Amino acid sequence: MHQAGFNQYKQQRTFIQMGSILKVVDNSGSKKVMCIQALKGRKGARLGDKVVVSVKEALSGGKVKMEKGEKSKRVYYGVVVRAAMQRGRCDGSEVKFDDNAVVLINKQGEPIGTRVFGPNTHELRKKKHLKILSLAENIV
Amino acid sequence: MRLEKCWFCSSTVYPGHGIQYVRNDAKVFRFCRSKCHKNFKMKRNPRKVKWTKAYRRLNGKDMTQDATFEFERKRNRPERYDRSVTENTLKAIKKIDKVRVDREARHHAQRMKGKKAQVLREATKELEQSIHMVKAPAALQEDSSLTLPKIKVKVSQPTEDNHMLE
Repeated sequence: MHQAGFNQYKQQRTFIQMGSILKVVDNSGSKKVMCIQALKGRKGARLGDKVVVSVKEALSGGKVKMEKGEKSKRVYYGVVVRAAMQRGRCDGSEVKFDDNAVVLINKQGEPIGTRVFGPNTHELRKKKHLKILSLAENIV
Repeated sequence: MRLEKCWFCSSTVYPGHGIQYVRNDAKVFRFCRSKCHKNFKMKRNPRKVKWTKAYRRLNGKDMTQDATFEFERKRNRPERYDRSVTENTLKAIKKIDKVRVDREARHHAQRMKGKKAQVLREATKELEQSIHMVKAPAALQEDSSLTLPKIKVKVSQPTEDNHMLE
């Protein structure tokens, strides 16, 4: 259950930085992306933050392109919806997930896909990612 | 605000404490402290870990069914605020706690009962074997009836010395 696709024994419980590989949990067509830049946050992105990602692995026929022709087509924005690093809540408790997952969005903040899988947090509401929340099937 | 139960040890998690771990199948595990969290990560089964409530209930050490537990059921419907209801609830909590504690004490006593004869046997054996740890060997030799307490000691040399010391 814990060790799904990666070779590490346990998911690293640190920030999402340049080079972090993230799982994509929407139906935009991509499967794995690599974080290029964590917007906001000196050390890296956490749960609910936006990142700039580059698509590494994608399904064919999806909305996301992976052709090597135009490099600019492979770069997208994303929102971290699940993070293995715990995030403090305002009541003092902490939440953490099993893996690092993103939902791809466009520059305006709207999700590219039409469905979102897996649990999400209501921290997204505060960050104004309401569209993602409305697609979410499970909010923690 | 809601008081949750720790998944591992079943103690209450107050706000500001503990970690919530959300698994990818959206099941939430709450832990009251890192001890429970670490045990969970070690994949220990709380039903086999002796200090958890799950083990104790499973092995009959603690009460399992009681009317007082009904009051603490999780309710998902929010109650409309009513001051008198709140007051009465607070009073009731105190009373219910008292009743529950009494019943648990009784359950414990019931569990520990039936050992009187064994305790007595063990005590006499200990007195016979280990009286040298309490009384000086000289006093023992002088009066061999000093092996059991409560027997009146004959007035002899050692006690007279005690009186003089006082």
